[in-house]
Amino acid sequence: MVTIAFKDLAKTNAAKRGMPLQRISFTPHPVWGKTDEEMYAYLDGNDPVSGKPLMKEVVASLTTPLTADEMKTGTVTPPTGAPTFTDTADNLQQYFLDNGMTDFMPIILPTQEKVDAMLKATSHKPDEVVGKMTPAQGAFPAWSYTVQHVAVNAVMAGAIPDYFPTILAIASTGISALFSSTNSLVSAAVINGPVRDKLQMNYGIGAMGPFNQANAVIGRAWTLMSKNLDGGGVAGETYMGSQGNVINYNNLIIPENEKDSPWPPFHVQKGFKPEESVVSFFFGFNITQGQGGKGLGMKPIPHYHEAMSANVGPFASLFGALFILDPLVAHGLGDLGFKTKDQIADWLQNNTLVSVKDVKTMLFSALPRGPEAANLTDDMMIPKWPRADSYTFVVCGGQTNPYHQLANMSYRVSVSIDKWA
Amino acid sequence: MNRRKLLSLMGMSPVALAGIPALAEQAKKSDQTKKEGAASAGEPKLTVLNPRGLPPPITLIPMAPRLSTLDGKTVYLVSDGFPGADAFLNQVSIWFKKNMPNVTTVYRLKAGGFADDDPKLNAEIKEKGQAVIMAIGH
Repeated sequence: MVTIAFKDLAKTNAAKRGMPLQRISFTPHPVWGKTDEEMYAYLDGNDPVSGKPLMKEVVASLTTPLTADEMKTGTVTPPTGAPTFTDTADNLQQYFLDNGMTDFMPIILPTQEKVDAMLKATSHKPDEVVGKMTPAQGAFPAWSYTVQHVAVNAVMAGAIPDYFPTILAIASTGISALFSSTNSLVSAAVINGPVRDKLQMNYGIGAMGPFNQANAVIGRAWTLMSKNLDGGGVAGETYMGSQGNVINYNNLIIPENEKDSPWPPFHVQKGFKPEESVVSFFFGFNITQGQGGKGLGMKPIPHYHEAMSANVGPFASLFGALFILDPLVAHGLGDLGFKTKDQIADWLQNNTLVSVKDVKTMLFSALPRGPEAANLTDDMMIPKWPRADSYTFVVCGGQTNPYHQLANMSYRVSVSIDKWA
Repeated sequence: MNRRKLLSLMGMSPVALAGIPALAEQAKKSDQTKKEGAASAGEPKLTVLNPRGLPPPITLIPMAPRLSTLDGKTVYLVSDGFPGADAFLNQVSIWFKKNMPNVTTVYRLKAGGFADDDPKLNAEIKEKGQAVIMAIGH
């Protein structure tokens, strides 16, 4: 039994898993938040898809003999279209649009000539398998893809060949930027090392806005790959975000402002050398502004740490807290005595507290598990996140004001870009 | 992927597909593209590459044989853990008590995330149950 909001998802996913005729009955959506009487009325009513009495249909599904089609065995290779398409430029744009291969904005048409130029920017062979990607781990079978598939998507996004190793590194992780959840989740890629300057990426004024080709296009390529390399991003089937998220257009691409940061670069924290080029991934709910919060009016040095603590108040502990700090904030924290990222993380972990009673009412936050859980009472205050490494920090921005932004996102992995050159 | 072709290959009736608005809309748009393509014949043509990755082959799984009746049988009601599924399945249990009192229902919350397998529960159902109703959604 499936709530009707997931109708197409359920049918298509069952087919992709080898059960195209799986017997599914549908209820109205949602069941969450409905009274017992309302839910029972669903059962007494009709399946909104078939129009038949719901529970009679369920019982029939369990007791009606299988048809020959339902007992079929064998193997089917899903079609993905011809290797090439030939038509006029306008018709090809329309074809890509109609077949869900774009972000609904015009693309650069991936001719062989442009794809070949892209392929020259890597030492890897065109037919080498780069990785596997799925719109949601466990929920959909993963697709594989080659260097050439990635190159085609890079061309479509508007990439120049110099960007290709970075785009390949992103593809190699198999991380989809369009994760299929009802939560309209977002993804971030933090870029570190020499590649930032080689590609003339912007880590200064307006770094996270539409003010730089590399920042914009690398992010867009990630979205296009998340649609085309794994069959993702089909709303209602392989993408279920209830409201969607504007960040999904080209994701959060955050080149770190290493030269103006008082701290070691993010990738060095993760064990890479400063001279290596690395992309690090984050995943979670969303990003928000940190201006005007508690403590920021303090003089002579604003109490940035208090604002950071207060600003994560609405966050759910399912994901962590990623702070994107203008260099002025990072240096200001140093002036306040926080000389390392670990020191500010420890302070936040010890001072950002939430009551047990409130945690119990939250949807995506959970009480600590283990022996100590038995001693928790409603009036106790506990850390919002149980571990200090739930707080992560990246320095980015042009120092026009001491501001920070913060995202309810968790770190996932860091990978080498150099490996894909 | 062309879902219409995929599902047709797998034995799903085009009639069943007609009930899925997204597929119907896609088919309509595809037809429009063909007409526009015909109208602009004579313009220079380009050949471009397909950006799609490689889906794995799908092995068709025959469904489990059906029961002749639910009378006297035990039906497991399995929640995937999304909010509300437990309360909803409780109403399903009540429905059986009222309408098919000879059916025994057993509620279980599947272990792991919604997409994770739960071999322990599957073994229990095979041993003690004769049918399963699984609730997906919230």
